[in-house]
Amino acid sequence: MNALAPILSAALVSGSLYALLASGLSFVWGTVRIFNFAQGALLMIGAYVAWYVTDPSRAGAGLGAGFTAALFALAFGGAVLYLAIVRPFIGRANSDLMVIMTTLAAATFFENGADWVAGPRYKNLPRLATGNIQFSNTAVSMQELIIIILGPSLLLAFAVFLKRAKLGMAIRAVEQNRDAAFLVGIDIRNIYVIVFAVSAVLAAVAGVLYGGEYFITPTMGDDPLLKAFIVVVFGGLGSLPGTVVGAYMIALIESVSRYYIGLYYTPPILFGVLIAVMLVRPTGLLGRAYQ
Amino acid sequence: MKRLRFLLTLAAVGGVAVVLPLLITGAYYQNLCILTLLYAVVASNWDLTIGYTGLFNFAHIAFFGLGAYTSGILTVKYGISPWLGIAAAIALNVVVGAAMAFPATRLRGIYVALTTFAFTELASALIVSRTSLTGGSAGLVLIPSISFAGYDFGVHNNGYFYLGEILLIVSTFLLRALLKSDFGLSFVAIREFEDYAASRGVPVARQRLVALVVSAVFTSAAGAIYAHYLGVASPDIFGFGFVTLFLSMVILGGSGTLYGPIVAAVALTFFTEWRELAGYGDLRFMIVSGVIVAVLLFARSGLWGALEAIWRLARGRRRTSDAAAEAVAEQNRVPTEAGPAATVTEPQAR
Repeated sequence: MNALAPILSAALVSGSLYALLASGLSFVWGTVRIFNFAQGALLMIGAYVAWYVTDPSRAGAGLGAGFTAALFALAFGGAVLYLAIVRPFIGRANSDLMVIMTTLAAATFFENGADWVAGPRYKNLPRLATGNIQFSNTAVSMQELIIIILGPSLLLAFAVFLKRAKLGMAIRAVEQNRDAAFLVGIDIRNIYVIVFAVSAVLAAVAGVLYGGEYFITPTMGDDPLLKAFIVVVFGGLGSLPGTVVGAYMIALIESVSRYYIGLYYTPPILFGVLIAVMLVRPTGLLGRAYQ
Repeated sequence: MKRLRFLLTLAAVGGVAVVLPLLITGAYYQNLCILTLLYAVVASNWDLTIGYTGLFNFAHIAFFGLGAYTSGILTVKYGISPWLGIAAAIALNVVVGAAMAFPATRLRGIYVALTTFAFTELASALIVSRTSLTGGSAGLVLIPSISFAGYDFGVHNNGYFYLGEILLIVSTFLLRALLKSDFGLSFVAIREFEDYAASRGVPVARQRLVALVVSAVFTSAAGAIYAHYLGVASPDIFGFGFVTLFLSMVILGGSGTLYGPIVAAVALTFFTEWRELAGYGDLRFMIVSGVIVAVLLFARSGLWGALEAIWRLARGRRRTSDAAAEAVAEQNRVPTEAGPAATVTEPQAR
């Protein structure tokens, strides 16, 4: 049983990161009904903004300032992204499919832009905290502990905001019934801007956490995006609880499979599970059917 | 008259195809042309599903990659002839494509895109995981070059040039014939109004499956030739880079046009690979992505639509509202007899 602690801690760390990125994807799908392929690029931009503000060779303002800058930059960036490449397509025929293409184009734009601006050299953010904590037979770094705690608490705060705040209720109203929400005077277009900004902020948090854990590169968002993609489809597009449950389940499957079956066989297993879920239950484990 | 025009076109295309590799002799430009030809095959076949059948999917990147790896593995590990390898690549992709399409084509809209995306990632992950067979993430190397009657294509690039041309011409000719037939018109009918097509007796899921499988044939052949030409097959084939490149060709050229993706393949391959622009590496891809969004926003019929509009203006014909609208109206002769199809095509035309 001594494999339990390392498997669990790895699953909790990656589950928290997946949950952050995937809930942004799922939230956008639930309200705006589009699938944002640029979500991974947003994570990457968040990490780069934080790096530019934090790193001593650049602004050198410290990690706290870098984190904050990334949050504000991405809130703005998410809103701009929506206005530029999503809003013009809302209401057109096949808007969801066209937006796949525009967000893919945006991801290419950002990845090449980052490579152009920052160069190909790998970058690295400082860790949020140093030191290790012994947990059963496994050493968990403080950074990982922060990820394990920060991810779920942020999402919990987000869920409370959706449940209690007036704006949160408006967002849920739009999610549940667009036309009825419009009839009672909710400005749907503004809600969409906010939804995009919020999901970009979630990506930025994930980006800063990834940037402290792994290297910052222009394509660093590709792999997290794939994982988030598995998670949202597995858990159910548009369902926040489904996404969070899905994130931890996928992370658990992943770390169990990595431990017992091997690193290289894990992605085929994940995608195999995913395709099975999509065929048996296309709306995911906790998702609702949309027409 | 129509027949004569067709024969003349065929003769002209054949003439250009024979002469072009003799005119372009530099290894560098030959390389660009060969890549263009193979990419054009992939883009135009992908467009059969995206543009004509209205089935937004990611499957063709898997067909292309699996084609490259199937032929690569068979020739490297089992020593069979590259020609048999290409045939095997086509056969495998038809089977795998049908197996994937069977469930996928019964889903709707975004779920088709997501399932085929997952399928592509599964193919890629499987290839990376089987290191002993596929070379893993480093890729499969030393894939033998194609030769024909003692003529090694690897020594004389002309061989690949002609092969690419033959593939593109045959593929385009067959696509054209398919799209002119009633069978092919049913694809467009599904795109235009799925429920109406179904009510007129078009088996929607089956036709979508057929569109995917048919377009897998030439896509996987292009993938196999690509692997033999380069001598390597790496998992990069499945990456976002190729996905965006091929999809850009479809969208930029004009989805739902036969020649648009081919024109765009020429434009995009030269724009993204040409060494004279090498100093603008990242910028080039940023410009391409910007243009894609602009095309989707303002000119749904893409480059081909623009060319058609210019052609029409030059001939001084009465300006019609949209090239695409006319094309659709022409293709929909059969549905319009029944009435509502004319109004149905409206939203697509804009």
